[in-house]
Amino acid sequence: MAAIEYALIQLLLQFTSTEALNAFLRDPRHVAAMIGALIAISGALVGSFLLLRGFALVSDAISHTVLLGIVLAFLFMTAILGLEADLNSPLLIIGASAAGVLTVLLTEALSRSGLVRQDAALGLIFPLLFAIAVILVSRFVEDVHLDEDAIMVGEIGLAWANTTSHCLANCQEVTITPDHPQAQMIRECTNCLTLGISPRDSRAEFALSCANCGTYSPAQAWRQGLVSEQPTLVFWPKALTTSALVALLTIGFVILFYKELKLAVFDPVLAQSLGFRPALLSYGLMALTSLIAVSAFDAVGSILVIAFFVIPPAAAYLLTDRLSLMLIIGAGLGSLGAWLGYDLARGSFLGLVELSNLLAWLNSVLSLQLSTTWDVSVSASMVLMIFFFFLLAWTFSPRYGVLASLVRRSHQRRLFEDQVVLRHLHNHSAVSTRDEECSANTLHLHLQWPTLKTQKVVARLRALGFIRQEGSVILLTAQGLRAMQSFSQKYLPQITHDDP
Amino acid sequence: MSQAQERLSWLWIGLLALLGMALIPFSQWAFGINYDYTLRNVALGGALLGAVTGFIGCFAVLRRESLVGDTVSHAALPGVAIAFLLAGRQMSLLLLGAAASSWLGIQLVQGLVRTTRLKREAAMAIVLAAWFAFGLALLSYIQNRADAGQAGLKSFIFGQAAAIIESDVQLIGLVGSALVALVVLFWKEFKLITFDIEFARADGHPVNALSVLLSTLIVIVIILGLQLAGVVLVVGLLIAPASAARQWTQRLEKMVILAAVFGALSGGSGAVISALDADIPTGPMIIVAAFTIVLISLVFAPQRGILWARRRVAPSQDA
Repeated sequence: MAAIEYALIQLLLQFTSTEALNAFLRDPRHVAAMIGALIAISGALVGSFLLLRGFALVSDAISHTVLLGIVLAFLFMTAILGLEADLNSPLLIIGASAAGVLTVLLTEALSRSGLVRQDAALGLIFPLLFAIAVILVSRFVEDVHLDEDAIMVGEIGLAWANTTSHCLANCQEVTITPDHPQAQMIRECTNCLTLGISPRDSRAEFALSCANCGTYSPAQAWRQGLVSEQPTLVFWPKALTTSALVALLTIGFVILFYKELKLAVFDPVLAQSLGFRPALLSYGLMALTSLIAVSAFDAVGSILVIAFFVIPPAAAYLLTDRLSLMLIIGAGLGSLGAWLGYDLARGSFLGLVELSNLLAWLNSVLSLQLSTTWDVSVSASMVLMIFFFFLLAWTFSPRYGVLASLVRRSHQRRLFEDQVVLRHLHNHSAVSTRDEECSANTLHLHLQWPTLKTQKVVARLRALGFIRQEGSVILLTAQGLRAMQSFSQKYLPQITHDDP
Repeated sequence: MSQAQERLSWLWIGLLALLGMALIPFSQWAFGINYDYTLRNVALGGALLGAVTGFIGCFAVLRRESLVGDTVSHAALPGVAIAFLLAGRQMSLLLLGAAASSWLGIQLVQGLVRTTRLKREAAMAIVLAAWFAFGLALLSYIQNRADAGQAGLKSFIFGQAAAIIESDVQLIGLVGSALVALVVLFWKEFKLITFDIEFARADGHPVNALSVLLSTLIVIVIILGLQLAGVVLVVGLLIAPASAARQWTQRLEKMVILAAVFGALSGGSGAVISALDADIPTGPMIIVAAFTIVLISLVFAPQRGILWARRRVAPSQDA
């Protein structure tokens, strides 16, 4: 991990200075947005396939049950291997991934027994695994920051502060031994405590000990004033590397298995018969889901990570029919939401609305005493931004949006009304009945429509040149007849015409 | 099924309920458990809650909406936060806010399913995450305030059984009986929309209104359970007793009663077991107890159980 970071830093320093890089990485906004975008990319890629396979809620289940994997791996590590408690150990990530796959395996086994439906099976398994994890944590894990709360709620706004320091120049480690010139030697009474005497007592024995001996990393040595030259340091946020690696792995997985994944999503039976083993692929997908969920714990927590899996792909799904485009749009929307979410957390909605003004207005209208500083969880705000994009897609999508389907429906309604009138006029075009049936004054009675509606439709048809009026009688024009016939041919082919 | 068999099966259910109640003196005698004020409240609250969730959960499970509880419970958070901002720490208002916000979430799920090509579970996941994010944002806004009156708001979400007081138990009992009464009142209609919604629609029943009513009842029962079990575990409490009861009977009447008994058993026994050791949290223990009942039912239930299926398959293989 450190080697990768070091190489990356060297690469970046080809283009920029150390100071600029440090300043960039010290800005919480940059770090939060980059990590958020990386999580959004991994989430959207995997989430698209989950969504299309109908597994959207499985991501929710997995993101909870990985807690069991983490706890079991943790207990295995400390109690059986006797290792130091370390929450960054790769063992925990392996445990978490295994727990994710286990959730899916158990759910499938339960629903395949036919005794419980699939949704109920999932709803039985994941609270159970989660409950076991919570019991294990409170029963066996002590003194470690590993609890429900820590895992369910993360904060991406703090990711910039958790860094690894990389030294680029003047990098001496300093080891202070007792004979080093900078060693601080102190005379200590060795038997004062045991005998209960003061150091002035004649029985007191003394020994020299070194107060600052030990090995100092370059950064520590500079801070302690042990070296005269300041080392060149770059502080690299840890979460950035993890999320970048996971994103790379996800992109690699999706590119490598794109064809197979596509087939497994849209035609699992064909995939099976072609020998692609869709089941194996879907376990791979689940393991990847767990991996992303675990890597995102610190940043966004186990519940909000579902948003990164589900919402961007869902928005993309409403915008496009192509899988490749869905992946790209999903990743793009997610990243954009992550970038803009930071401003929202600090109180600015797209630079359009200042939330502090909104709160002040609420205070004055409802006479409340709300604080007017809106400074909230960054991860939650990112999700809200992404959800806002989803709402936009839902409303304005050209093909599947609410507005588009309203327009389409009102167009269909108008078309239908036009055709009803045209056909009525056509059916009663015989001279004997038309004075009675096609009079502008009584047409609404024959159609059984409200007067206003009838007038509107008639006016529209006249403007189109489909009808003309002679006295009070409405007549079909040749153009109107053609419109009626072409409608019939297009939509009502089974109706035969015995037109003159 | 003959009348005698019918009567016998009801007798079994009654016996099971009595056995469950006998757990109290038994645990006092065998483990020396002292039913102090806290434990009395937790055990009674757990049992009541289990009974109500089991009862209502049957409809969720049969309508293939088991996971609706997951969305409902997470979607409560913003309502809790807003109620707190407006009115402070008043339990009844917090619950009301929670119910209102979950209810809105569920309506959005319905709207999404109706107007888009998203599947139901995708819509549920979207609403769950978005509502929860809004709730977290509000919660962090509340935590930034100078006055620290927000203590315990989080335990509302993650569940803290030990904080249950007598008035909470009364609330669960009161609201729970009202819910059960409503279900009994609309029994025929709910049964119809659960098993054959198309027929119900064709028959002229107000299917949409009934569905909204039923989902409202589910929302209320989950909000009641939040404080005891927390957002994740209440999902299990809604599904487990119903899934277990489904294995033993084909009739809805028996299923809901049996689910209520199972729910009460797991709620009560989970609370009592967690009293044995201070380090065992109550909510998770209730879920483990409920799942134990599910497991027993899956294996041993007559007709459907795994053992039964074995016995049925074996002779046919010989032949």
